Amino acid sequence: MRPYVIVWCGLLVIVAAEVAATFAHLATGTQLAVLLALAVLEAGLALLYFMRLRYERPRLFWSLIPALVVVLILMDHFWPDAVRLLRQRLTAP
Amino acid sequence: MGASVMAIEASPYGIPSKKLGMWLFIIADASTFGAMLFAYGYLRVANPNWTRPFALWPTIANGIVMTVVLLTSSLTMVAAVLAAQGGRKTASLRWMGATMLLGVVFAALHLREWLAMIGEGWRLFRNPLGGPVLFGATFFGITGLHLLHVVTGVVVIGVIALGFRRARFDAGHVETTALYWHFVDLVWMFVFPLVYLMNVR
Repeated sequence: MRPYVIVWCGLLVIVAAEVAATFAHLATGTQLAVLLALAVLEAGLALLYFMRLRYERPRLFWSLIPALVVVLILMDHFWPDAVRLLRQRLTAP
Repeated sequence: MGASVMAIEASPYGIPSKKLGMWLFIIADASTFGAMLFAYGYLRVANPNWTRPFALWPTIANGIVMTVVLLTSSLTMVAAVLAAQGGRKTASLRWMGATMLLGVVFAALHLREWLAMIGEGWRLFRNPLGGPVLFGATFFGITGLHLLHVVTGVVVIGVIALGFRRARFDAGHVETTALYWHFVDLVWMFVFPLVYLMNVR
């Protein structure tokens, strides 16, 4: 049980870091990058230890996680359209 | 020669099929949450005057407590799995009970927050602060789908615990259910920073 309690403590520290980063009033892009990096680290710890992917055969990891990562990367194709909407907004009268 | 012989072939993944099925569900569900978070990001990029209504008190403080409660519930679920695998049935049932209790606390805190926001005039398509109306749609949509997963998880853990107590289910069922519960926790690890912290004024 001890390794899991250590991971749980680590997750709480990451949450504290996220809140601290939020109230450090960083630029929006920097804040997003920091929060996403911390969230990915948090999710990685949960996947490897709480969901015990670390103790499974590597084949399971390679069959599941890259597929999800590819799906999430493919969703990035829609950002240019969001930027287009931003650019075509009329200025307020 | 009448007796049939059945060859037992080991899983290439080294896990029972029910656990593999849960993993496949988790990957599919992660894509669903991913799409919702991308849609939310899309709307934020397209709306430069996006509303950032949250302050440290009460919303973020409430969100921190909810996060700690959910992370702790994952730890109690790990304890339930380890106890079940070690043959300590009573301990496993107690840890599952603790997990359910923490899940109920999370849901209660969430509903209290929702009711406070609704009291302030927030709706799916109404923004009382005058900014983009889609804030409510994305906030209630994403957190509502997550809350549905939490409530479902509490019910499923209850059903599995009952079956485990009556020896209808084994430690493998407890472990498979735990995978789902940890996934619910994992989704919150993205919802809290992206939907709450990124909307602090």
